[in-house]
Amino acid sequence: MAYVATRGGERAIEQAERLYRAQMGPIDAGTVAEIEAALPSLIDRVMGEASLYAPDLAALALAQSGGDLYEALLLLRAWRTTQPRLQIAEVVEPDQGFTHRRISAAFKDIPGGQILGPTLDYAHRLLATDVLQGDTFSPAPVEPARKPAPARHPSLAEWQKEQGLIADKPLQPVEKDDIPDLTREPLLFPAKRAHSLQSLARADTGGMLALGYSAMRGYGNAHPTVNELRLSEVEVMVRHPGGATFSAGRVKTSQAEVVTARGKTDLSIGFCATLGWNEVKVIAGATLDLNAPGAPKNSPVNEEFFLYHTEPVESSGFCIHFKLPHYVTFQSALDNLRAARAKREPAKSPVQTEEPA
Amino acid sequence: MTLASLTENWKAFSYGFLDASAKREMRRKMIKAVAVPGCQMPYASREVPIARGWGTGGLQVTLTLLNKASVVKVIDQGADDSVNAASIRRFLTRVSGAEATWDTLDATLIQSRHRVPEEKLRSDQILILQVPNPEPLRPVEPNMSVARQMHADADYGRLWLTLYEQIVRSGRIMQGAAYPSMVNRRHVMAPSPIPRWDVPKLNMAEHLTILSAGREKRIYAVPPHTSVEPLVFDDVPYKVEDHGHLTCIRSGLKGFFMNEIPQEDGTAAHEVSDSHLGIKAIDRTSGEQVEFGETWYKDGEMQQ
Amino acid sequence: MTALAKQPPQLVRTRPLMTLNGISKTYDDVTALDDVSAQVYPGEVLGIVGESGSGKSTFLRLMNLQETPDSGSYHLDLPDLPDNLFTLDRFERRMLCARQIGIVYQNPHEGLLMTHSSSGNVAERLLIAGERRFHVLREKAQSALEASEFPIPRMDAPPIELSGGMQQRVQLAKAIALEPAVLLLDEPTTGLDVSVQALVLDTLKRLQQERRITMVLVSHDLGVIRTMADRVMVMRRGQVVEDGLVDQVFQDPQHAYTQQLVHAKL
Repeated sequence: MAYVATRGGERAIEQAERLYRAQMGPIDAGTVAEIEAALPSLIDRVMGEASLYAPDLAALALAQSGGDLYEALLLLRAWRTTQPRLQIAEVVEPDQGFTHRRISAAFKDIPGGQILGPTLDYAHRLLATDVLQGDTFSPAPVEPARKPAPARHPSLAEWQKEQGLIADKPLQPVEKDDIPDLTREPLLFPAKRAHSLQSLARADTGGMLALGYSAMRGYGNAHPTVNELRLSEVEVMVRHPGGATFSAGRVKTSQAEVVTARGKTDLSIGFCATLGWNEVKVIAGATLDLNAPGAPKNSPVNEEFFLYHTEPVESSGFCIHFKLPHYVTFQSALDNLRAARAKREPAKSPVQTEEPA
Repeated sequence: MTLASLTENWKAFSYGFLDASAKREMRRKMIKAVAVPGCQMPYASREVPIARGWGTGGLQVTLTLLNKASVVKVIDQGADDSVNAASIRRFLTRVSGAEATWDTLDATLIQSRHRVPEEKLRSDQILILQVPNPEPLRPVEPNMSVARQMHADADYGRLWLTLYEQIVRSGRIMQGAAYPSMVNRRHVMAPSPIPRWDVPKLNMAEHLTILSAGREKRIYAVPPHTSVEPLVFDDVPYKVEDHGHLTCIRSGLKGFFMNEIPQEDGTAAHEVSDSHLGIKAIDRTSGEQVEFGETWYKDGEMQQ
Repeated sequence: MTALAKQPPQLVRTRPLMTLNGISKTYDDVTALDDVSAQVYPGEVLGIVGESGSGKSTFLRLMNLQETPDSGSYHLDLPDLPDNLFTLDRFERRMLCARQIGIVYQNPHEGLLMTHSSSGNVAERLLIAGERRFHVLREKAQSALEASEFPIPRMDAPPIELSGGMQQRVQLAKAIALEPAVLLLDEPTTGLDVSVQALVLDTLKRLQQERRITMVLVSHDLGVIRTMADRVMVMRRGQVVEDGLVDQVFQDPQHAYTQQLVHAKL
């Protein structure tokens, strides 16, 4: 099939899409439900990057794209952007979430306690090949603790502020309807704080890890200590037109605070939060946030640099756009090259300039 | 009066895909762009159902301008039948019910990647150029915040310097497509990666050109009757691609921008890049009644 | 050169070309300059000495309008300029600097694009000032490089391929390309070999004599100041401690700090 066939393009793209979909077969509600049930971490990651908390839509997008993460994201983002923004939910304070997991690397124990919660951190990563032989891999049941952990926890940073370890910056109160919304306005620099945090929340996990890791290895100016990492569920509180505030449901959230002692009198802090449980993302994001103040322009920890380059829909789209034909631009460059060569060959002098017309 | 008579039924997507708030923002930003020719206006740039970098900026403009009476032409590298042009055209007609055409003369909206049609555009036509990189200063200043300040100051010395350097190194200006051009004697713009051949077509034109970069979230415009001058030294003339003498092997057309087609015998053949102009010429040869518009270039020379 | 120019400049014009009055500047809590004033007459070379941290480089950066002080005024006695140049906006400052104020930095990376051609570095200044004829850019870049005693066959080589002394000559050519009213020199020969340093100073000296360029020369090196300057200002901790004709200050220093400086050097 020709790439830019004269008349035939429309049929070609139609058939190309069919070829791709033929690999995946039909999709039905059962497929979607199975993906949603079996792959919660993937669903969480996709919901975070799509900035759309809808596990069933995320599962559908994954099914429809055959598991191509960037395609799934684009499906969700393009759907999301057409939806009306009915209202802004109430602000969630850190201590209001229902905490599933909460750890701090900065202290052995912290007020409220360390809660390990669900994690594979200490699992032995052995592939369960028996499953392929026909066995079922059934996880052993969880044994409840004698005393359940408290559901709500204070923020560790609050304690540090009381101790004078973290500067207690005055709140800058914003009406919730006035919070700048990245999905409705462009990201400009210096960025509004809300835009920065929103960008981090929907950034590409892999991209953020790459840049955050470069800062952790030493290309940044601050080495992070995980002050607090939290996985929670929070209520989405919205207002009924009649005036009552009610919970529209719970969403899973991750948040990380990392700190560093940068030779000053108090600790510097970096923060990142996202929808869904995605620990790598929030630790890497908080590390970037920690390193951003005063970072040299054009360094990986400069805010403009990392926010632009971790936008998953933009970066993946631009990357694949290089597959599009570029023969007009190439032709234009070729014309210059030939003319320059023709000029150079007879003369061979180092600088030949155009004669005035 | 019933509730149903006042409301519309739920639909999965709005007319023209974008919702009303997105279209309103686009209209406002387009007006700003027209008001300050060549100046890049930031806009939210919504996600659309094609990938970033594939014409999402142009698509948002076209979706906003479209109505049921529109006639849309979409080209990529000059060709209506290029796969991505076909995909965008199919999407546009699907969400709007607008008519599609390949003929420049019939179109009211022309969305294009990397070319300006060879037939002159009229004041009732709008050209929408897809832009990968809206920032002409990017090669000299990758930081967007600094570059914005440089535009505000008309600080273009570095950009001129790159042209100087090209002449010193190669004996001529080596800037190919996307030739930086001064709009309305104030803002330097990247005219999108159209060839140098096409830049003079924007100067003092009858039609409105809107340039939109979806991924980079910038929109700018060249209104009708506005000057567009490629940056060039007074004593080093601007040179378009040396295509004026080439002949299209398929249509016999001569004096337009060509695609070079390498041949197995080591030579190269050429075919006209504005593919529908070529098709019209072929149709005319085979005796059909075809209407040709006036072209910007005559006998390979720009007329102005 | 006209006969007039060979006379002492003060006899030609008695009004100072540059007047800086009551300049103070602090960074965070550090006072870089504390109520410093200076006047420079046309054709004169003013030397500024002091150890690092004395405020001399900050003072020079202010003269180059790269920064704005907390208080104080700066006037250049040229047509159509405001009484205080610090009231100019960024755009006006850039245009004024391109035309009237040349600067040579100690570190060539600060003043040059290291991978562009040397002639291009000079041409950039002409481009900022609006020159749009390629052949004029070439000619003017070449003559400025010639005046800086730069080897013309190398004029299109990038500074990164040149020696430290040659890089300073490119900076100098760029600074004088538009025949500015003032040439600012910030430790222009520091870090060069002694023999190279002497050659660069010779060039500066010759330029000064031929063109009567008004210069402000910042250096920690009393030898350099002595060779070049007519008058000297001694700075310490953001203040001027002594000020006078070079011979007078060096032979008979009044302030204890100057005495210490002079004795340490001699």
